[in-house]
Amino acid sequence: MKKVVSILFVLLIFLGISVFSQVEITMWFHSGRGEEREVIEDQVKRFNAMQNEVKVVAVQLPEGSYNDQVNAAALAGDLPDILDLDGPFVSNYAWAGYLRPLDEFMPSELKEDFLPSIIAQGTYNGKIYALGTFDSGLALWGNKALLEKANVRIPKNVEDAWTFTEFMDVLRRLKELPEVTYSLDLKANDRGEWYTYGLSPFFQGFGADLIDRETYMSAEGVLNGPEAVAAASWLQALFEQGFVNSNPPGYNVEFLNGEIPLEWAGHWEYPQGKGALGDDLVLIPAPKFFKHVSGMGSWAWAITTNSKNPEASWKFLEFLLKPEEIVKMSNANGAVPSRYSAIELSELYKEGGPLNIYVQQLNTIALPRPVTPGYPAITLAFQDMIGNLIRGVDVQEILDRAVRVIDQDIESNQGYPIY
Amino acid sequence: MNKAEKSRKMSYKQRGLKQALPFLLPASILLFVFLIIPFFFAFYLSFTNTRLISPIPPRFVGFSNYVRMLGDDLFGKALLNNFYFVAIVVPLQTIFALFLAILVNQKIKGSTTFRTIYFLPTVTTMVVVAVIWTFLYHPEGTINAILSFITFGNWEPIDFLSTERIAFPTIMFLSIWQGVGFQMLIFLAGLQEIPESLYEAATIDGANKWKQFIYITLPQLKNTSIFVIISTTILAFKLFDQVYIMTSGGPNYSTYTVMLHIYNQGFRMQNVGYASSLTVIFFLIILGVSLIQRILLREEREVF
Repeated sequence: MKKVVSILFVLLIFLGISVFSQVEITMWFHSGRGEEREVIEDQVKRFNAMQNEVKVVAVQLPEGSYNDQVNAAALAGDLPDILDLDGPFVSNYAWAGYLRPLDEFMPSELKEDFLPSIIAQGTYNGKIYALGTFDSGLALWGNKALLEKANVRIPKNVEDAWTFTEFMDVLRRLKELPEVTYSLDLKANDRGEWYTYGLSPFFQGFGADLIDRETYMSAEGVLNGPEAVAAASWLQALFEQGFVNSNPPGYNVEFLNGEIPLEWAGHWEYPQGKGALGDDLVLIPAPKFFKHVSGMGSWAWAITTNSKNPEASWKFLEFLLKPEEIVKMSNANGAVPSRYSAIELSELYKEGGPLNIYVQQLNTIALPRPVTPGYPAITLAFQDMIGNLIRGVDVQEILDRAVRVIDQDIESNQGYPIY
Repeated sequence: MNKAEKSRKMSYKQRGLKQALPFLLPASILLFVFLIIPFFFAFYLSFTNTRLISPIPPRFVGFSNYVRMLGDDLFGKALLNNFYFVAIVVPLQTIFALFLAILVNQKIKGSTTFRTIYFLPTVTTMVVVAVIWTFLYHPEGTINAILSFITFGNWEPIDFLSTERIAFPTIMFLSIWQGVGFQMLIFLAGLQEIPESLYEAATIDGANKWKQFIYITLPQLKNTSIFVIISTTILAFKLFDQVYIMTSGGPNYSTYTVMLHIYNQGFRMQNVGYASSLTVIFFLIILGVSLIQRILLREEREVF
């Protein structure tokens, strides 16, 4: 009996040691769509089961108020070890010193395996602060039957994209089809970040931008210069002349039931589009305006400076960023895998895959939303501006106002000096 | 009043206070923690350039946030919209609520059901209400369909929420509909306080229903009305949820309100210092309006 007790005692001590040597890290993530959430939950479970050094405790926060909750936690000094952030907000957190640079953990071959868009989005002041397991693609979804009926050319790859004049010609021809109500869906009723994500590439296509990317000190002349005026007037005319619905009844209803032949949207439309249109669903690269630009950016993982166990945290991120894990996520939410080695494993995105155009775009023409701590003000001003543009307010007036708001914000933050 | 009486009354009052204190305490603590302290904190922040997320340590900037407000045309626009909203919604909602209260106060079968029906929108979250009404107001939505039906197809569908001239009245209509149940309930309580004997006497004197309403119901409801008007005014100034969900303040700022401006400045642009100064000024404006209302509509208190 005594022997049994002493064995138990020894066992207990061992267990105790192994429990104590186990590092516990907390992770916050936005609870997005169901499939995405399930994959992360499964990844956490498998990671915890496969080794006993690091234990990840995952906490989901609702997406709508995610940013507010993270802000509050940051102010209270209560950030978890790992969290995910929407791409364009990374620089704001990095600037404020809440995020830990990931460079020390990243061998150069790992860095080179990432899509350039992922690196561009996660880099602030020369250091990488966030890495996504996926990126997003922005291009046109088309209804092949209608496009063929209107007798327009369907581009096959990025170099082949429609030029500006071709694009306008396509819109006109589609409009003439009797079954078509509007030629193009721009999701005008999806206010919020979509306006900046989805519509700023048109401004950049005209040679304008949201801010002067050389200095990030002013939007003067960039968001209200002649190029911006041209872009805004063109966009406004699309609504006024009935090429685009300024108030669609639903998210993608008209495209799915064949009333609108073109839809400006991301990879996330693939499953539904495929279900509704079948083989008639075609992916068309972003049209080539005066500059060829498309949007990008998605949620990315970061380690906080609050973390007492950055190595353990990186261990988990390394696991999430494994090509096999990336593909699991990509298959679940349809997003573009963030690493070349993962893209090769993905049926959807590998060379010749139905969504490969997104990879081509991310490799060549994708432009991140401005990587500056002032982004929250920039996007608010731009969203406001687009809202007024759609409702027909004078173009120069709304552009000047947006510039004023952005410049005022930069000024009241002393130009967002690097700390 | 002789001395003995006086002292008896004093001790009575003191005793009352003693008993009231424990009951006041929980509410006072909550008010203090969640209203009074935050307000003083906001007052302090309004003199700094604090940002939500920033490595720059906040510093005192004096009155510069307040000076900036003078040149902030959006704040002016928002404030005007707020007054416009209050000027339309408060009288309409009060009259409508009184009308409904009298209606459901009739001693007829099913009046409880109607009370419940009119009260339902009030207990439904405004966010949900706003989302549903966005669909109803859509050019291809139910309201346009109904208008088209009753005009035999002569109705041109209107994009209610996207037309600068119509968007704000559209939101006002929804707000009145959503909030009226609450005021109705208060009026109902007031109506039931009126002694039946007054009406009986009036009937004997030969007063008709209209005269009874003018000379009995309305004067008897004075205190209730004052409460309803002041609380509706304060609620109306806080207009936020509907415009945030339905229009984000557009088109062309025609539905932009001060609360939305404060939210945009404080949370979306992370400019906490400036947002705090807006809050302070807005508080003073609402306080002023309430005080003026109180002076104009002097309450008749029963002296204890």
